[in-house]
Amino acid sequence: MKEQWRLLQTGFNTAFSNMAVDRAILVENSEGKVPPTVRFYGWIPPAISIGYFQSVAEEIDVNACEKLGVDYVRRITGGGAVFHDKELTYSIVIPEAHPAIPKNILKSYGRICNALLQGLAKLGIKGTYAPINDILVDGKKISGNAQTRKANTVLQHGTILLDVDVDTMFSLLKVPNEKIKDKLIQDVKQRVTSIQHILGKKIGFKDVAEAIKLGFEEEFDVELIQGVLTKEEKTLATQFEKECFSTTHWNHRR
Amino acid sequence: MRSQSIYKVPQGKLLKISIEYDEKDNVIRDIRITGDFFAYPEETIELMETKLRNTLIERAQLQEKIRSIITEYHIQFIGVDPEGLTQAILMCKP
Repeated sequence: MKEQWRLLQTGFNTAFSNMAVDRAILVENSEGKVPPTVRFYGWIPPAISIGYFQSVAEEIDVNACEKLGVDYVRRITGGGAVFHDKELTYSIVIPEAHPAIPKNILKSYGRICNALLQGLAKLGIKGTYAPINDILVDGKKISGNAQTRKANTVLQHGTILLDVDVDTMFSLLKVPNEKIKDKLIQDVKQRVTSIQHILGKKIGFKDVAEAIKLGFEEEFDVELIQGVLTKEEKTLATQFEKECFSTTHWNHRR
Repeated sequence: MRSQSIYKVPQGKLLKISIEYDEKDNVIRDIRITGDFFAYPEETIELMETKLRNTLIERAQLQEKIRSIITEYHIQFIGVDPEGLTQAILMCKP
């Protein structure tokens, strides 16, 4: 019998809730209370997440975010700033000692990204893993990923772009040099792609989630069983949201 | 004196350094290391910042200090290395 992991489809939530839930799963998995878990989710309202090491002031135009009703949150994972709008976001939480996860961090990015690649293949999209943490299609980025390891547990989360609005993205993110902003936008338009752009048609969130689910099942030779957050996870998530991810103290700490 | 730099590590990530340094004795008073890199465990970046205070802004000394902090606190960097971090700090000076 195949090993069974938990599948969570938590729908669309705020940035603060989304990041709190990933951390809650990490804590509960590290204590052996929940199985390895793959989660799919989206963002309402749209939001920017920044990497653990980034500075809000350097990366985000906070006034523009307020004007457009876009939230922002600091992740517990490193990596870059991401505008989360029309995308499928996934997370996977699994013990570091699980045989499916390479000890080497870079290799484990590759392994998890392979699951995404297999999922994209289900949609007829041929992508490639581009270390450190990207997936490219025709040389353009369709997915960014970020991993942390805490309490002997791996959390990797990442995005798969369903559609992309580079102009809005750049009205929210700061660029180092305003003078080259237009050129930068053109460059990013050349370097970023989406499922809609590649296939020339819209594919719904649910269909993409189903494909990526199959990708995880194939790559890791497991069965993903639909589940729900435990009571403890919900309590922890509420606590993390309130005490950490929605606070100025956390979000502006760097 | 306050100064900043932005440096793309070759084959790596973007480092943004902000330092406060003493022009007379050329040492770091305060430093903040930001960017889209990865470091494990993440919290050690704050340790790195604290430990780099009072370090002479000179390539060999910076590299040695950074290497020793990495070893002592078992830090794993991805997308940045001691050479890249050193270079970014040196670039803060005119």
